[in-house]
Amino acid sequence: MKTKGHKAFASLRAGVVATVAAALVITPLAVANSAEVPTFGKKCTTEGVSTGQKTTSLVCKESSSGKLTWQRVRLGATYASPVAAITPPKGSIEFHHWRSEDKAVFENIISQYEARYPGTKVSQVIMDSTNYQNLELSKAQVNKKAALVTVFRGQQFADFLKADMMVDLSNERFVKQNVIQSALQPGTVNGRVFAVPYQSLFNNPLYNVEMFEKNGWSVPKTWSQTLAFCKTVKAKGIIPFAWPAATKGNAGQIMNAFMMNSAGSLAEIEKHVSDVQSGKELITDPWFKGIADKYKQMNDAGCFPDNVVAYNDTAAPADFAAGKAAVYPTGTFGMSTVTKLNPSMSGKMGIFGLITTDSKPTFEGITNNTFMLTVNPKANRTDQKIARSFMSFLTTAPIAQQYAVGTSQHVSIINVDYSANKDLLNTSVIMGKKLVLAPRFLFTNGAVATPVELALMAIGSGKDVSSTLSDAAKQIKTALGV
Amino acid sequence: MSQAINNNTDTPNRGVSVVARHKKTAGKFEKKILLWMALPAFLIYAFLYLYPALSNLLYATQKWDGITTPEFTGFRNMQFLLTQDDLFRKALGNNLRFMFVVVILQTGFSLLFATFLLKNSKTNIVLRIIYFFPTILSSVSVGIIWTFLYDPNYGSINAVIKAAGLGEYAPLWLGDEKLSLYSIALTQVWFHTGQMIVIYVAGLQQIPKELYEAAEMDGASRWQQFKGVTWPMALPTTAVVVAYTTIQTFRAFDLIFAMTGGGPLYSSEILVTLIYNTAFVSQKFGYASAQSIVLVVLVLFITWLQRRTLRLKDGAK
Repeated sequence: MKTKGHKAFASLRAGVVATVAAALVITPLAVANSAEVPTFGKKCTTEGVSTGQKTTSLVCKESSSGKLTWQRVRLGATYASPVAAITPPKGSIEFHHWRSEDKAVFENIISQYEARYPGTKVSQVIMDSTNYQNLELSKAQVNKKAALVTVFRGQQFADFLKADMMVDLSNERFVKQNVIQSALQPGTVNGRVFAVPYQSLFNNPLYNVEMFEKNGWSVPKTWSQTLAFCKTVKAKGIIPFAWPAATKGNAGQIMNAFMMNSAGSLAEIEKHVSDVQSGKELITDPWFKGIADKYKQMNDAGCFPDNVVAYNDTAAPADFAAGKAAVYPTGTFGMSTVTKLNPSMSGKMGIFGLITTDSKPTFEGITNNTFMLTVNPKANRTDQKIARSFMSFLTTAPIAQQYAVGTSQHVSIINVDYSANKDLLNTSVIMGKKLVLAPRFLFTNGAVATPVELALMAIGSGKDVSSTLSDAAKQIKTALGV
Repeated sequence: MSQAINNNTDTPNRGVSVVARHKKTAGKFEKKILLWMALPAFLIYAFLYLYPALSNLLYATQKWDGITTPEFTGFRNMQFLLTQDDLFRKALGNNLRFMFVVVILQTGFSLLFATFLLKNSKTNIVLRIIYFFPTILSSVSVGIIWTFLYDPNYGSINAVIKAAGLGEYAPLWLGDEKLSLYSIALTQVWFHTGQMIVIYVAGLQQIPKELYEAAEMDGASRWQQFKGVTWPMALPTTAVVVAYTTIQTFRAFDLIFAMTGGGPLYSSEILVTLIYNTAFVSQKFGYASAQSIVLVVLVLFITWLQRRTLRLKDGAK
């Protein structure tokens, strides 16, 4: 089961790369002018911006006359017309997830659900993301009330699969008809849907559009431009990249960007990762050393804040929200935190893919699915029914739209409109780029992933490349020997 | 009572034996009752402590990812751990350094404060409460608070250092590999000193006043009184404080997890955080069990050593 699950999962990755990008949106997008009100047929300024996935949604596209105008393009597809939520039996379940920032929005959605179905209760159980990844499988195995759980793509999904801890949802109508089909792939193994990717993340740097415009900076498109950009921004007394090097989870987001163009193709990257995880290749070898060298170059170019080694994910969004940093290199999931810290940042955030090569990049950005909904097979039948019902409720367009707008997260549900959230509109630009599923999660062995990530965090913070990699390589060798 | 019994029996000896028999029967009955009364506690202990501890011994001989069927590997985990695992050695070294610093500072500070707060005056009671206050906070909250205080760019500690014109010497408290462990140790001392003050105050209050009066009459200075009376008489309390503090330092998981997660580059990794990572991040539950056995043996040994040392100082054999 282990080998089969891993292989099946790994084999999906190549196909997933292109399809997930296209799953939500098809067209290339760009940052929207926040003052622009999308109106069908009217002029638009930034190509590619999309208002959502409805039949009435608009995309800024070049018309036959060569002008950019708002046009109707249906983005994404399902098997058939969407269906309503399933009526649940009476009872109560726990909904386990890790996004504390979504708690209030979910509370609101749950209260609507409970009002609609009296006698049915859903309560949220939230853990921080690190503990969630480490402990949720054990918890779900012994907690039968944890009927609805979320799983991360990567190691956690593979572990749940190996432990037979996900119900097959392939035949659920709400899965076939409410969820954009191509978006289902990260939760699908051998044609069977075990988890529904609810939101779609874009783990690319956010930047302060207003600050860029004011200073006349343009988004760096090559590695040389990135390093030059850092020097320019730092000279102004502004932090170029508010990289939270002291917080492992979010410090690792830029690792995706460093990995995505580290080889000629995704297959090559997968091969390198696989070889590192099996001990055939060392992280002191050229492929990984090349990645580490670029972290060092960024540090040397002054891209990161002072004392970056102790700079955590509390200080980073705070500096970005306060206008002390130009770029917050995490992803779209960080937007709600930033706007909570400073509401005036709403509509002022753009997104770009961090390109770490001067030649033509293989990939232009990152996407990921860390919030995949699944049903716990250990829960009793009634509770499983409630879990399916609540999932179906979440996948109805009005509810998914409430979630998307309320949390500033793009979702994989059909008929959702993003117009009410400027940040979702502005960052929709990334969807049209050539994206790859976050390659950091190709490291599915925690005993290897941890020393790898810690080494990169240390190097980005100024440590010597060779000695740091050499120490980490020793730890990996030990870990693989146990 | 015995008189009444004697009156109602043929011979005094027979009366005594009846009483003795009664007492014996009652004693047996009481013993049985007591055993039955202890049973629930024993069952809870067996289920929550004994069973996991014995299971741990079994897991230590297995290769197990927590999901698939475990594979028996004998003493391989233990052998690997003791001979090839550099990270374990590093965590062990960190733990011993952490223990050493915390035990010295926490015991020293708590004894010092306790000697000043010995009298039950209103001021002293208020001060004891204030010093005890951090103990009631959750360790994660303490970790978060001190992470803010230690922040090199925005933390108040470095702000004070910078305000004093010593900005260039402002340390990277949690970011410096050489300093992070000791920064957490200081937090641990702040966190638990109040608790130890209370134990010391209780212990010091038991010292007979006559000893101080005699010392005073002999013309002993305060320091001589401390050296000749307080310290030797406080040794049993010190043994408790040191043993308890030692165990605390081996259990400082949440503080380290909240403040550095064991970083940077494992510089603040101690045994319990390493065991957690081995089990839940690397998914090597068998190997983590082997690590935890070494931890238990180590704590037992250190505690035994400390008690023995303090008992010898006390003059006991």
